[in-house]
Amino acid sequence: MKADDVAARGAAADAPGLQVEVEQRLPMPLAGGFGCAAGELLALVGPSGAGKTSMMRVVAGLTRPQSGRVVVGGRVWLDTATGVCLPPQARHVGLVFQHYALMPHLSALDNVALALLELPRAERRSRARHWLEHVQLAPELHARRPAVLSGGQQQRVAVARALAREPALLLLDEPFSAVDQMSRQGLYRLLADLRRELAVPIVLVTHDLAEARLLADRMAVIDAGRVLQQGSPEAIHRAPRNARVADLVGLQNRFRGRWEGPAAGAPGRGWLRWLPDGAAGHPDPAAWPRLAVLDKGRIVPGSPVTWVLPGDAVRLLDAAASASPAAPGPGATGHADTVRLPARVAEARHLGEITLATLDLPGLPGTSLRLTLAGPRRRRIAAGDRLDVELDLDGVHVMPAREPGNLPPAA
Amino acid sequence: MDWTALVLSLKLAAATLVVLLPIGLALARWLAWGRFAGKAWIEAAVVLPLVLPPTVLGYYLLVGVGGGSPIGRWLHETLGVQLTFSFSGLLLASIVFNLPFMVQPVQRAFEAIPRELTEAAAVSGLGFWQTLARVELPLAWPGILSAMVLTFVHTMGEFGVVLMVGGSIPGQTQTIAIAIYDRVQAFDFASADRMALLLLVLSLTAVAASFLASARLVRRR
Repeated sequence: MKADDVAARGAAADAPGLQVEVEQRLPMPLAGGFGCAAGELLALVGPSGAGKTSMMRVVAGLTRPQSGRVVVGGRVWLDTATGVCLPPQARHVGLVFQHYALMPHLSALDNVALALLELPRAERRSRARHWLEHVQLAPELHARRPAVLSGGQQQRVAVARALAREPALLLLDEPFSAVDQMSRQGLYRLLADLRRELAVPIVLVTHDLAEARLLADRMAVIDAGRVLQQGSPEAIHRAPRNARVADLVGLQNRFRGRWEGPAAGAPGRGWLRWLPDGAAGHPDPAAWPRLAVLDKGRIVPGSPVTWVLPGDAVRLLDAAASASPAAPGPGATGHADTVRLPARVAEARHLGEITLATLDLPGLPGTSLRLTLAGPRRRRIAAGDRLDVELDLDGVHVMPAREPGNLPPAA
Repeated sequence: MDWTALVLSLKLAAATLVVLLPIGLALARWLAWGRFAGKAWIEAAVVLPLVLPPTVLGYYLLVGVGGGSPIGRWLHETLGVQLTFSFSGLLLASIVFNLPFMVQPVQRAFEAIPRELTEAAAVSGLGFWQTLARVELPLAWPGILSAMVLTFVHTMGEFGVVLMVGGSIPGQTQTIAIAIYDRVQAFDFASADRMALLLLVLSLTAVAASFLASARLVRRR
């Protein structure tokens, strides 16, 4: 399903999964929608206060938006147009709260049994025990109250309670924020197992991008209550819709430029003029490199653009003695898939298994590349080294430049 | 020791609890979770008996539901109930002046329940009454217990309002607090001593119990 963003969206719309559309101004602005097929995991990502939890509350039925529609597994849970709004009790949603919301006066077992009230008492307890075993909570902990359980154990109880509803949709609100790294790994595995065995959509609210990339099939990026973009994590990293999304998903190598239109003699490519940050006031844009990048035909020639380069589109090479710093990239008529530039290592921080490096580009004032390096080569890099970088132009993604207060309409 | 007065006081305290508990729970739950205009005024009205002089409260009850008032006349003519200088009048007065003692602790206890817990209950499929019975009341229980204890003891000890509304008719409206006053007036200090000590021990035990209960409430959070 990760093959193509568009195809994935189509699949999600057809499969009996989750479809959400929300529009409101008060009490906080929310706009946009997202979808997720059964068996898929969708990550709602965005900074704190972006409206992720509010979106989730709308889906669970804890708040009613001014207008919106929520369909899960073909059943309409909310449709303000027709006046349908099922209460949370009728939605069959499994919700794991950020701070778990376990009942402090009940044992782990009774907390889970609380979600099984429609069963006879004896059966209730045996089902509750089944779910606690399912999330691998040790039997000697079943009788304990939440206060004497660790964060990771409490979370397992909360997940068991959510599963006990046999939900048509599983919602997890920042479930990993309050547990230590050790328990987190175990919980990631638990979530991966659940994904395999549950044939329902799973929505994970998180502000942690690494977590979203690790766990999610799909991602919806939210900022200031708006869904800015959704798609597979790879697709969003490869082609963020705008500069804000690029910021939010943590793309570090973001540059300014000008779109100069289709490149003659190179079908499917267009010219991108690289305008270095330190070039303000420079009289002649032609002094800067022109890159033949993939042209999706969406940008008006002459308009200012923002462009991003993913880390894996940069290759480090030994400095070529003949390379002239003044003539980077291809000539005016020809084109190449790559461009080679001289670089100087400004900083190299060796951390654990990775190295964070900042490379200045002497040909482009005020411009540097930030790279996360792994593998044997990283150890040989030190501040002050001169080397060449080869940029894979197929990895370049060009977006309209950000105009403050003028974000494009939500997806 | 005036056993008649003691029994009357116990009867009054028990009857007050039985009538006031459901009213207090409903009012406290409403004030704790409801959001509506004029809430501050209702809360103020509930607390009023706490700060008003008992004689003022007693006076208004006397003229409000007494034989000379429209309400008092109507009650007497249609139901044959007389609310002054009678046990039912005492009970009404007792309910009014105990309102803050019942409502305030229960309201605080309801307010202390994180909303997340009732939301979790709703998502787990629990309806209003199930959530009330299985989540809210168990969590508010220490507060409810302490409110019940305070109400009971306060009824045993109330003097001013009872005297104003009930007079001091032995076997009908003479409570133990008024009996102590009467004994002292009659220079019967031996009797007054015993009854005073009984009330003192009872009050101390009750207040200590309510403190223990709130400590338990705090420990759970």
